[in-house]
Formats: sequence, structure tokens, C-alpha cells
Amino acid sequence: MATAPGSGFNLGVCWKHNRKFILPPIFGIGGFLLFWQLSSSLGLTKLTGPLSLWTDERTRELLLYPFFDRGGLDKGLFLHTMNSLSRVALGYSLAAILGIGVGIAVGLSQTLNRAFDPLFQFLRMVAPLAWVPIALVIFQQNQPAAIFVIFITSIWPILINTAEGVRQIPQDYRNVALVLQMSRQKFFTKILIPSALPYIFTGLRISIGLAWLAIIAAEIVMPGTPGIGFFIWDANQNGYVSDIVLGVVWIGAIGLILDRLMAWLQTRIAAGR
Amino acid sequence: MTPPIVAVQDVVKNFPLQGGGNYLALKGIDLEIRKGEFISLIGHSGCGKSTLLNMIAGLDLPTGGTVLLEGESVKRPGPDKMVVFQNYSLLPWLTVRENIALAVDEVMPDLSRSERDAVVEEHIAMVGLAHAAEKPPLQLSGGMRQRVAIARALAIRPKLLLLDEPFGALDALTRGNLQEKLMQICNEHELTAVMVTHDVDEAVLLSDRIVMLTNGPGSKIGGILEVDIPRPRQRLEVVHHPSYYSLRSEIIYFLNRQKRVKQWQAKPHKVLARHGLEKVNLDLGFIPLAACAPLAVAEAKGFFRKHGLDEVQLVRETSWRGVTDGLLDRTLDAALMPSGMPAWMTAGGHGSDPTPIVTALTLSRNGNGITLARRLADQGVRSVADYRDYLLRNNREPHTLGIVHPASMHNLLLRYWLSSNAIDPDRDVHLQTLPPAQMLADLKDGSIDGYCVGEPWNNRADREGHGFPIVGDLEIWSGHPGKVLGVREDWALAYPNTHIALTKALLEACRYCADPAHWDELSQLLSDRRYLGMKPELIRFGTPSGCAENPHGDPHTLFFGPGVNRPSRTEHLWILTQLARWSEIPFPRNYVEILERICAVSVYSTAARELGLDDVSYQRTGIELFDGVPFNGDDPIAYINSLSIHQDFSVAEIPIGVPRAMVS
Repeated sequence: MATAPGSGFNLGVCWKHNRKFILPPIFGIGGFLLFWQLSSSLGLTKLTGPLSLWTDERTRELLLYPFFDRGGLDKGLFLHTMNSLSRVALGYSLAAILGIGVGIAVGLSQTLNRAFDPLFQFLRMVAPLAWVPIALVIFQQNQPAAIFVIFITSIWPILINTAEGVRQIPQDYRNVALVLQMSRQKFFTKILIPSALPYIFTGLRISIGLAWLAIIAAEIVMPGTPGIGFFIWDANQNGYVSDIVLGVVWIGAIGLILDRLMAWLQTRIAAGR
Repeated sequence: MTPPIVAVQDVVKNFPLQGGGNYLALKGIDLEIRKGEFISLIGHSGCGKSTLLNMIAGLDLPTGGTVLLEGESVKRPGPDKMVVFQNYSLLPWLTVRENIALAVDEVMPDLSRSERDAVVEEHIAMVGLAHAAEKPPLQLSGGMRQRVAIARALAIRPKLLLLDEPFGALDALTRGNLQEKLMQICNEHELTAVMVTHDVDEAVLLSDRIVMLTNGPGSKIGGILEVDIPRPRQRLEVVHHPSYYSLRSEIIYFLNRQKRVKQWQAKPHKVLARHGLEKVNLDLGFIPLAACAPLAVAEAKGFFRKHGLDEVQLVRETSWRGVTDGLLDRTLDAALMPSGMPAWMTAGGHGSDPTPIVTALTLSRNGNGITLARRLADQGVRSVADYRDYLLRNNREPHTLGIVHPASMHNLLLRYWLSSNAIDPDRDVHLQTLPPAQMLADLKDGSIDGYCVGEPWNNRADREGHGFPIVGDLEIWSGHPGKVLGVREDWALAYPNTHIALTKALLEACRYCADPAHWDELSQLLSDRRYLGMKPELIRFGTPSGCAENPHGDPHTLFFGPGVNRPSRTEHLWILTQLARWSEIPFPRNYVEILERICAVSVYSTAARELGLDDVSYQRTGIELFDGVPFNGDDPIAYINSLSIHQDFSVAEIPIGVPRAMVS
């Protein structure tokens, strides 16, 4: 963008242009925090207020030093989060691979769709927490069970969206492939995947949120391994309410970042479709 | 002749419906396409034209019959029959170049990379898109996208190019440019192409032949038009070709006809019997002419209602052909028709099976005239002798005279008048069938040199200065039958009392029309949009146009009077001889039976008697036209042979079967 020579950054002008985007969220969030703090201070609820993150000494330490590692389970929150994230990455990747693969198959075949769609619709309704006991029975081990819970929670949007994307390939594109007598493989790479990509990404984006949501459920089943879910669970067992609040803040922030990341990927890869 | 590149043979297409049953989309389609030909498929939405295209493309398979491409049955789509789809079908994630390259790479794997690239570049340049080659399709306008689609199709060198409404979504300017581009490419590469379109002008501009499809269900080919406009064609110049407007109006007539049939089918068609009549809801066809006055009067003055016909609809057709088709497909119950039409249709002159038509009433006599273009008067043409000399002097130029229908008195009188004046109506001039309302426009722009038609068109040409009356019908045959009431014979037998009631209502209306005191009122009535839709002063019933010194002093159009309304076998026999003389029909060996069946004299007599008009009886003696040659009804064939100019006519038995009532 061309700027007139001599005109530097003008704070006043910038503020004038952007204040209607800056002021409302400040008021909204500030108001919410104030309300929370007041209702906690006035004793309306036993939940500690947001200020407790600072006032509670143990929590303040956790807040200020996310990277410490005293061995065992006594780690900073960042390290807990990284553990959780790697677990989510594993479960989510599995879900993506299987979801896209099965989604394409179901999208291409009416018969497969008729056979499995009711099952998928049914399974997708089962809450992450309900999978925990089943996962433990199946795998008998903590780590695979946790990954399974993440996987089974996040696969459905990917699968269903992919199938829909394949079904929604315009007849025109199919006709082009037919008239050109494209091979099956060519059809896959040149038409099916590019055409279904926006749908697949929508599924992936919904699922990353779900996978992250499932982390608490997954880590409840894993006492003794570090992770943000375990951290909250542990704080709960010990009655550290302000620690729980801090954990929740971390989970929300990470979830937001993951979602933004997927949205960015989507605009980069599947733009303009 | 070269064998056809595509042969569509007796193709039938059924679509299964949800909830069982089948929808019959196409039925009995036969079409052969020669190499290098450009064919358009035209028809209303849902007529199956895209389905037919898809079957030629192999994207869809016929339920019955076969489609052959170079002698081989089309079983699946392939690059040899490339389709340009309506919505372009470009892949949005690829650039223009990549889209075309995708097709070329797929279809021409034997070429080297650089050869393929050259093909791609050549076709991008062909459609003038070099500047946009790197853009994705979504950044292009509709016209540019369609150019990419055409380039992609042509790049793989198909034997057959199939276009499904290629320009349907484009604005008029872009469409025109692309049409020219496509035409140019087709000419240069001698492409064979089939195009589906809605656009009549586009079809005429681009095609060698236009295939018109009827409405579904069970669409079939309703007609094929050859476009005889030479190539290369220019979009702005083809409109000046003499065939352009007749082709265009032919297609529009066809499409309107299809629409009317569809509307007719959409309405419930119960036969309403009431007041002792078998049917009181009638659709009555007419075309806008002064001679339709009895129908307008019967409607406006309540004569239909008076005779129990409660629900009569007057259906305005634009040409006599609409009347013929309406009777053939039974969308009309009865119609005002030229007096030659019953004989013509009964003898099969319309080109399909002979369809017996009955007339019980002659509605009008006279009212016609022959008009020549003003520019002939400027060159000294005053009389028929001048005209003959003029034709001799300018015998290299085509001289076109308009008639409204081969079976109309206009055609027969014009031909009789010309040939009696030693002008051969088939050699010295060219007679062209036009709807009456179009004649004046054609005279004005010089595409015809004159016409024979009913009022008000002679009067209007004279008043507006585009033509002048060379002769009035009174000077050719005063009192000749003009328009008659015609119904199908099977209709007349199924609804005999209705037929009598209709005849009564119209006979009474004729009496009303004949009173000079009513003529101003008639002019006003007919000027309404439902009838003629023109200024009342242009519609006159008094003296013939341009003849201030009318030699006969008669009122021009006769609607009622002694010998005016009763159907006359002698007159219809004379008409049969004239139709045979000009080879419109063979002369029927069984003419006595035919005349007996055409003229429902008993219906007329009953109607007249019930109206208390017994005195309106048959008074006519022999027929004699202006040349003084008497008509000998005892030996019609000898009469034709005695006439100086006639074509090689044939004599044949016309198979009209036994009279049978219509089953509703």
C-alpha cells in the first residue's frame, strides 16, 4: 500500500478506524470477568474468582512458570499440554486417515452407504466419556485406550463430511471424466480429491475441536501420566479449584489456537472452491 | 452421398419414476447426421432435447433403438464425441491452461510433452484467451469460461462436437460474438456438431438443419428444417436472407403450437352436455380478418348463448396452418376456414392422412383483392397487361407474391387470374405462403411484390401507401365463397345437435353482419385486441378498397342473403378441380362421395328452417369467372384439361373410409 511521504504511523487515526472492533470485546470480556469475580467475592458461588489465579500462590506459580519440570508428574502446564497434544495428534491423525478413506468409499458406493450410514449416525451420538470404559475393556492399557477415545470422538465429522463431499461432486465434473475416459486413479487425484477437499476440510476443522474436547475424557482413564486432562483431574481430586480454572483457561486457549490453525490451513489449501 | 456419421435409429428413452412407473421422454427418434453438418435441436423445456444429446454423447443409453457413430453403436462416452456443457464444467482448481491440458494429456498420451503443449497453446490462442491462460476459471466471465470449454473440446479433435445450450447463460453481446467464433471454427475445421438450444435466431444462424422436438411425454421429431442460407454466414447479414424470416417464423409457429397444445392438455376437457346439446363447450378457431365478423358478433351479441352454446371460446390463430393443426390434433372443435380447406384436408392436401372435414355454412363471400407493391405502379404498372410486360422485362429477378394458404380462395383466384392473363403462376412468379398479418410488413420491406388476401390488408396497403389494388375479387368472380365453417366429420357425427346449434348461431350472426346499419359497429367490434387489434377505420365492409367507382355497386363482403350461406357442392367441386389443377391434391376419382361428405346441406337446411329462414334457398346457377369460361361440373377432368395453364395433375381414389363418429 502506498503511503504519502512523511506520514508515519498515526495512533489517533488507527484508533479511530479500529475502535469499534476493539472496544466491544474488551467490554464483553471485562464485564464477564467482573461479574464472575463479584459473584465469587460476594459468596454467591463457591467457585473462586479469576483473580484467584494470581492471589492463590500455588496457582500463580503454575501460571508464571509453565516450563518447569521437577520430574514425575510435577511439571509446568506447557509440558502437560504438549503431552496431551501429542496424544491428540495421534488419535486425530488416525481419525483423519480412516475417516477420509472410509468417507470416500461410502460416498462412492450407494450400497456401502446404505449398509453403514445408520451405524455411523448411531455411533456419532455416543459421548466421549461413554467410550472410556469400552476403550479400557478393548485395549486393557491406558495409552491406546486414550488414543482410541480421541479417535472415535473425532472420526465422525471427517467421515460424514468426506462422504458428503464425494457425493456432492457435480455431475458436470463426473461427465468431464467420463467423456475424457479418465482412469480411476486419474479421476481420484484430478477430480474427486480436489472437488471434495472443501468438505473434507470442514470435517477436519470440526473434528480438531472434538478431539481436543475428548482429551479430558481420555486422560481420566490414565492416572499417572502427564497431560492437561490429568492435571485438571488431579486438581479436582485435591480440591484446588483455582488450578482447575487455570487448566480450563489453557484448554480453551489451545482449542482456539488449533481451530484457527485449521482454518488457516483450509484457506491455504482449499481456497476458492 | 456420404454415409451419415451419426445415425439415431428409432430411439426410445424411458425414465423410471419415483414410486414406480415410467416417464416416456422420447419416442421413435430417427435422425441421420452427415459429416460436417451442424444440427440444432430445439423445443420447449422438458422435451428431451438434452436427453437426446446425452444419448448421442453416450452419457445416457437409450431404452430402445440405437445410436450409431460411424456405424458403431454408442455404448459409453468418449473423447470422439466431446460435449460442451451448459455450465462450462471447468475444474475450478485448475487454470485455463491446466483445464485444457488435462483433456489433451488424457486423450493424446501418444504425443510428446512438447507436442501436447503446442496443441494446448494453439487452442488457447484460437479462442483468444492467451492473456488469461494462467487464471482459474472463477476469475473469468461467463463468455470467457465458455470459450475455454469450447477450446478444451476442440483441442482433443473430436469427430463430433456436442453442445448443450452453450450460450444460454450469456448476455446478448457475448453470445453474438461467441456464435460467430463458433461458426468460424466449425467452418475452418469442418466440424460435425449437434447443439441444443432454446434460441430460435441462434438455431437459424448456426445450423444446416434444425430438428424441432414436440413436447413430452413421448417427444418425437416434429419437423426438420433445412437452412438454405449459404456459408460463411455473418450474424448481422443472415437476417437479410429471404429464407431467414420464414425459417424463423416456421420455428416460432412450431414452438407456439407446442405451447398451445400443452396449455390445452393442462385444462380439463370434459364434454359438457346441456340443453339437449351433446357439447356446449367449444373451442372455435379463427384468424384475424374482417371475415371473422360473424364469429365476433355471435360471441358479442350472445348468439352462441341464445342457441344453448354456453361456453364458446374463440381461439385466435396467427395462420391458417394453426387452424389445420388445431383440427387435426382436436384442440379445436370448429373453425373459420378458407372455403378450399374442407376439400383440401379431406383429400389429404395437408400432407398426412386424408381427414374428412364437413362444412354446413358458408360464412362470407368476396372480401378479397390482389395488391401489388407501390414501386410497380411507379414503374408504370397499371393493369394486368402492364404487369405481364413488366414480368417479361424483368424475368431474371424473382417475383414473389404472397398467398395465405394453398387451400384458400386467394391462392385459387390469384392463380386463375394470372393464368387467364397468360402468366404462369408457377413459372413466371413465385407464390409464397405467409400469415396475412405478415404480408403488409413483407410488402413494405420489399421481400414480396404483391399478395392476394382478404380485408383489411388490401385496404391498409393502399392507405399506407405501400401497395395498390390491381384487381378486386369482384372483377374475378363476384360472389365467390370466402370463408366457411369447418368441423371434422367425426366431430359432426358425434355432436349432431351441437353442429346444428352452432350453424344457427353463426347464420344469425351472418344476418346481423349483412345489415349495412351495423357496419360501423362491426368495425368497432373487430378493432378490439381479441380480434383484429387495429384502428376501426381500417376495417371496412362497404365498397372494395381503392375502387371509388365500384363497377358492381355491391357491398364488398357478403355475409347473408339468397344463395350466400348454403354450402354448394358445385363450388366445392370447382375448388377440387383448381386444387388438382395446381397439384395441391390429386383429383379424387371418388369426388361425388367426397362432395357429399364435405357439404352438410341437411345441417344447414335444418338450421335455416329452425330459424325461420326457409326462403334462403339455393339459387345459384353455373359458375363462370371473369374470363367467361363456363365450369362444367359434369366432366371436371375435361374442365381442368380445357384450361390453358395447369400442372401435370393426377387422378386418384382418396381413401376416406366410412363416416365414423369421434369417440371422446
